[in-house]
This record gives sequence, C-alpha cells and structure tokens, in this order.
Amino acid sequence: MSRALEGIVVLDLTQSFWGSLGVALLGDFGARVLRVEDAAARGESSPDGTAGSASWNWEQELANRNKKSLAVNDRRPEGREILEGLVRQADVVAIDRPLVEVAERRWDYETLAVLRPDLIYARGTGFGPKGPDCDLPAIDELAAARTGLMPILPQPGLPPVYPGHGSMYTAVMLALGVLAALHHRAESGEGQIVDVSLLGGNMYGASLDLQAYLAIGGERLLAPVSRLDMGNPMSGTMYPAADGKWVTLTMPDTDRWWPGFAPLVGIDPQDARFDSHEKRCEVNRLELMQVLERAFGEHPAAHWRAAFDRNQLSADVIEEYSFPANDESVYRNRYLLDLDHASLGRVKMLGFPVFLSDGTPGLDRLAPCVGQHTGEVLHDWLGIDEDRIAELRVQGVVA
Amino acid sequence: MGAALEGIRVIDLTVWFQGPVAAQHLADFGAEVIHVERPKGGDQGRGVRSIKALPVGDWNQYFLVINRNKKSLAVDLKQSKGREILYRLAAQSDVFLSNLAAENLAAWGLTYDELRAVNPRLIYAITSGYGRRATTTKPAFDMTVQALTGLMSRLGEPGEPPIYLGMGSGDAYGGLLAALGILIALQQRRSTGKGQIVDASLYGAQLLLAAPTLQAYLATGDERYSRQRSRRKPDNPLWNAYAAQDRWLFVCVPNEERSFARLRRALGDPPLARDARFESAQKRREHASALVDALDAVFRARTADDWTTRLRAEGLAASPIGTLRDLAEDPQAWANEYLLETYCEEVKRQVNIRGLPIGLSKTPGRVESLGPELGQDTELLLADLLGYSWDEIDELKTGKVIP
Repeated sequence: MSRALEGIVVLDLTQSFWGSLGVALLGDFGARVLRVEDAAARGESSPDGTAGSASWNWEQELANRNKKSLAVNDRRPEGREILEGLVRQADVVAIDRPLVEVAERRWDYETLAVLRPDLIYARGTGFGPKGPDCDLPAIDELAAARTGLMPILPQPGLPPVYPGHGSMYTAVMLALGVLAALHHRAESGEGQIVDVSLLGGNMYGASLDLQAYLAIGGERLLAPVSRLDMGNPMSGTMYPAADGKWVTLTMPDTDRWWPGFAPLVGIDPQDARFDSHEKRCEVNRLELMQVLERAFGEHPAAHWRAAFDRNQLSADVIEEYSFPANDESVYRNRYLLDLDHASLGRVKMLGFPVFLSDGTPGLDRLAPCVGQHTGEVLHDWLGIDEDRIAELRVQGVVA
Repeated sequence: MGAALEGIRVIDLTVWFQGPVAAQHLADFGAEVIHVERPKGGDQGRGVRSIKALPVGDWNQYFLVINRNKKSLAVDLKQSKGREILYRLAAQSDVFLSNLAAENLAAWGLTYDELRAVNPRLIYAITSGYGRRATTTKPAFDMTVQALTGLMSRLGEPGEPPIYLGMGSGDAYGGLLAALGILIALQQRRSTGKGQIVDASLYGAQLLLAAPTLQAYLATGDERYSRQRSRRKPDNPLWNAYAAQDRWLFVCVPNEERSFARLRRALGDPPLARDARFESAQKRREHASALVDALDAVFRARTADDWTTRLRAEGLAASPIGTLRDLAEDPQAWANEYLLETYCEEVKRQVNIRGLPIGLSKTPGRVESLGPELGQDTELLLADLLGYSWDEIDELKTGKVIP
C-alpha cells in the first residue's frame, strides 16, 4: 500500500518542539523527512532542553519520529555545498529560527529558491514575519500572553493561567499550510512561502472568544466570569460532584435535552421556574445554576457518568491524564501508542490524531540520534563516496 | 493571484463549529465550499443568540465568520429527492465533509459506500467525537471531550475548579486536523486516483493538543504534569507570571547565571540579588516559593509595560498579559492579517473578524464574503452545476425539498 505523502521530501531545519512536531505530522503520513542539524553544535544540550531525562527524551521521540538525521556544519563552504545539494532535492524546507539568524545563515527563501525554484518554504516564527514585533523570540508563553485568554481562563480574582497548548495549533497549521502549498504546486508548478506563528496559532485557538469580543466589545469578555454566572447553566458549565471530581455539561439547545436531563438532577421537567429555554438561560439562569450545584454535590462522579451515558446526554466527568492513558479506546484508535521500545521496553507515546482509511499513518522509525544517517544520506542522496565522507568527518564538516 | 485550492469542490454538511471551521480553512484557500443545510433553520450555528450571557451582537458573528467564503444549499435530506440532489453533487465534488451523527448519515443514504458508488474519487471526511474505533456513541461537544483528555484538570491553582481552554478551543483543533486529513487524502489521490475515509475526532485532536504535558505524563507517570500547580511553586521562578502595578506580565528568563545577572540589572538590583537563597540556579529552584514572593514584591512597583521595556533592554523576554481588547488593537496581529476588516451585508458596514492564521506568499487566503444566507445558492447550483431544469426546480420547491 502506498503512503499518502510518499515521494514528498522535507528538509527539517526546525529546533522547537512545535516546529519539529509539525514536520513530524508529514513524516507520519509517509513524507521522507531529513533533519538537518548543526555538526558544530553536536553534543551541546538544547537551549530549552527542560524536558527529557537521561533515560528517554520523550519530546525528541515524539517530535522527530519517522525522520532521519544528518549533521553538517554549513558555515564551512564544503558544508554549505552539502546543504545546497540537499535543498535541490527537497520539496519542502521547514524552519523555525529567528528571522535575523535565517538571513545571516543564508537560509532564507530567496536564497534557497534559487537552488530549487518550486520550493515550498515553511516558516515558523513567534509573531509572524511582518509587523513591529516580528523579531521577538518564539516563546509560546509570550504569544499566549498577547492572546487575551490568560486573564479570563481562571475564576475571578485568581492569577492569569498559561494554558500551554497554543503552540500545538501552530504545529498543525504548519503541516496544513505545506499541504495547501503542495496542492497549488502540483497544479501550477509554483512554490512559495508558508508562514505560521505562535501568535497566529494561539489566536486561532481563541477563535470564538476573540470573535465574540470583536463583534460585541464591552467589558464582560475582558475579565473572568464566575462558573456560577455562565450564560447557559447547561452548557459550558462545571459543577463539583460529591467526591471532589467535577462534571461538565454542554447542552446548548436546552429544549432538546431538558426532558431527559431534569429528572436526573431531581427537577420536575414541568417546574414552572425552568420550563422554557428562556427561563433556564435568562430569567432564572442563576437560580438554576445554584440548584444544579446542590444536585451534583449529592452523588460521586461515577454516578453521574453512568447517568449521562444511560441517557445519552452531552455531559461528562473532568478527568486527569491517567484517564486517557488507561482508556482502551484511545489505543484502538491509535491516538496513543503502547509500543515496545528497543532500549526502554514498553512505553506509551502520542500516536496519530487523524484516521485515513487508505493513507494510514504509521511509526516507521523512532527519533534518530543527531547525525545518525549522515553517511547514508551523503551517499544515497548526493552520491558522495565513502572516502570523501570520511574526510568530511575528519574536517568537522559533517558529523 | 490564484488560490491554493482552486478547483476543489467541498460538500460541507456540518453544524456548529468543528465541522464548519474545517471547511472554512479550505474555503479561505479558495476551494468551492457548499454548506449544505436543512431548509428549516439551517445550521444550528445560525441560532446562536448569546455568548457568555451577552447578546451575540447586531450581526450573527458566530455563524458568519465560521462559514465565510461559502455557498449555502438548503435541502431536505429526509426526502429521496433531496438525497438525489446530494448524490448529483457528490458526483461532481472532491470532498464530502460531515460532523452529523453516523445514524443520521446512514438514514439519509450518505454512508461512504453509498457515496463512493457515485464517485470513487470522493474524499469522505467525518469529524466524530471519539473516533472510529470508540465504543461510546454518546453526543460529543468540545468541552465534554476536553474533560476526558485531562487537559482541564491540570490548570489553575490547586483546589480551584478545573479550567476550560476557551470556547471552542478543541473544536478549532479538530477542524484544523480534519482539514489536514482532507488535504493529505487529496494528495494521495494524485497517485491512487481514489478517495478514502478521513476521520478527525475531537478526542484524538485534543489528545494532541495536550501533547506538551501529556507526553511527559505518559513517559514518567509523574503527577506534576497532570495536576494543578501553584504559580508559587514553579520549576523555574524566573519563568512565571507576575503582577505588576497595573496588570500581570509574563517573564521568560532561563534559570542560569548570565540571565539572572541581567534580570537583576533590569530589576534595579533589588535586595533579592544579594540573598544567599537565590545565589545559584540550584538554590533558586530549591527556594522557588520564596523567590516568587520576593519577585512579587519587586514587580508590584512598576507597570507591566515598564518592566517589559526594562527586561527587553537586557535582552530578556517578557510580555504584559493582555486582554482581548489589547489583542483587538495589536498592530502585530493586524500586520500579519490575523485580524481583518471585511464588509458585513447583514449590518451594511465594515466589521472586524479573525483573519488568516496561515500565510501563503503567492496564493494567500482571503475573505471574500461572510457566511451565506440560508439556501442562497440553492437554485443556481441546481440549475448550473447539477443540470436541473427550472421546471424540476419548481417541482422540488413545491414538494418542499428545497425552500
């Protein structure tokens, strides 16, 4: 069976977790991804290398799976020649370094597109390539801080919350942009720059709150809203169960759900206080929330989950990571993988978020060590012979 | 300039957010997206009247922005003549996308096998709740699925309620991944000539959304990654949120000596600079709470903008923690077209909308129109694209197959 992205060659010059993960999404579907790493920096720890342990660098494992690795010092002319040879064979170059460094190192689109005119150049930045802050560092916390959600995520009076997932939007946007550009190239022969940023990703994740503010304005969307002052007591709300766990409800069109839901929480569906959507969500909204707060506190979370399931309600228990980690269905769907790692034994890692019936994603290889495939790639891609490769190694051009 | 996805036709039989926003990405890049709706009321997203107990505004921004650049075809799929319209459309389309329940699609003859028989090249994309191999079939919305992933439980101060990542945060991601899956399938079709099934579920998407901490938890089983942590107990107190005089700021300073020296300078050499508890990276980690308290006292003295300027002057990263109003006025967001202004027919004026999160230099996305009126393109599509005669169209109207 062919792989969905078979034949697409990607040079991966990314360094961040999110940038590398965006490229890994292409590799998961069969693109041939070569990481180009710095032979001069080999052995240094990564600047933001906070994660990982001596036994397993799980960030690298996830972000660089299905990739090969070549280490070259392209500040040296011989190294630059190797890099340029690789670019000529690439469909896509992905890069997430600061724009200033990109220009200095001649990794910019204009330079590389001379070598490969139909190149797709996927560029990740902190804040986008234009504007006064295009050179600010690509740190997700900085982008999240500018997106307007941090002050309104917690309950009133509490410190702002850094949610920590914003860069994951950017990772997928990078892959999506590349695919759109590949489509255009197949039709027209034309390559181009794909731009994604942490600010753009965080903003996209905040779509509905942001758009609501843009259209409505005012003060209410700028400060936290108490969980007992939500617009719809049955939607976007959470209530504590008797055992300290929380339940959450999303039943926006309450007319549809009320007859099945009300009896579970001890309310007569005909109760005149709550017998219309308008009464539930406007006139007696706050009262209904108080009633639900008391009702959910009477039973533990497991009771509520069973009741929600039995009645096919759009409601659930708020779990911790231990839940998906032990949920058989996520392994069946391959959202998580439970795999036999050559050196670590059984390990769990994130799998594949999208199912394709024909273009099934797969884990062909674990993340490479830096430079693991240098010799192989120099030989197979560039036709450099063994003796010359040995020479280049001795000279420190490759590693 | 051309559009990246010119020539791709998408049947968008979706409601609310996750499904429609997947198609919106395709439409922004120039695909012809036909939002298929029930004649009575249309997509439920049209019915949104309030957000966080606020009236939605004088234009229905919820529906209109998510469904921008799309056409609308209103058709009653409960009638066989309605299904015939969809089959004819499927024969001429590249993608069928739906987030309706599988039972509905089956009842209306819209399973993959049925549509594949009409058009073997069709990509059949589903945005489900829990994935194809899930045992549960209960209704799924963004927040109920986010609840299962564990993402919500780890946020906020210990003892406080869990935190939802923001309205539609998981739907937005599911939509992005569905669009990605569709484009991957279209790429594969170039070599195979065949369509296939794509399923991007809310559960799968939101597990990836959790990746930075979920992967750490999976690797270590350490509850530091899965439980709430106080901002007073960070690994690195120099990488944290602090309350300045007027509002909060986020400071991102690595815990190593050169950076700490710069931080001390930026802070004006406060007493904590000479405190033995903070004299090495190791000690700063050990006395993290005390250092947070000491820094709290320092940062309170100036405004967040002032601190940000001082920190940046020392080559350190920091940013005020802004509100949605700050974002709405952020020149950086406008310069990169993450925010756009466009004409809204409903209120006959320019309105501000979230813009284009992915830039393409030669075939940029664009917003040519906001969401369509219900069924506005029905007759033209039937006549021009699907070859219905005007007599047949009248008949369909009489039978209430179309409005």
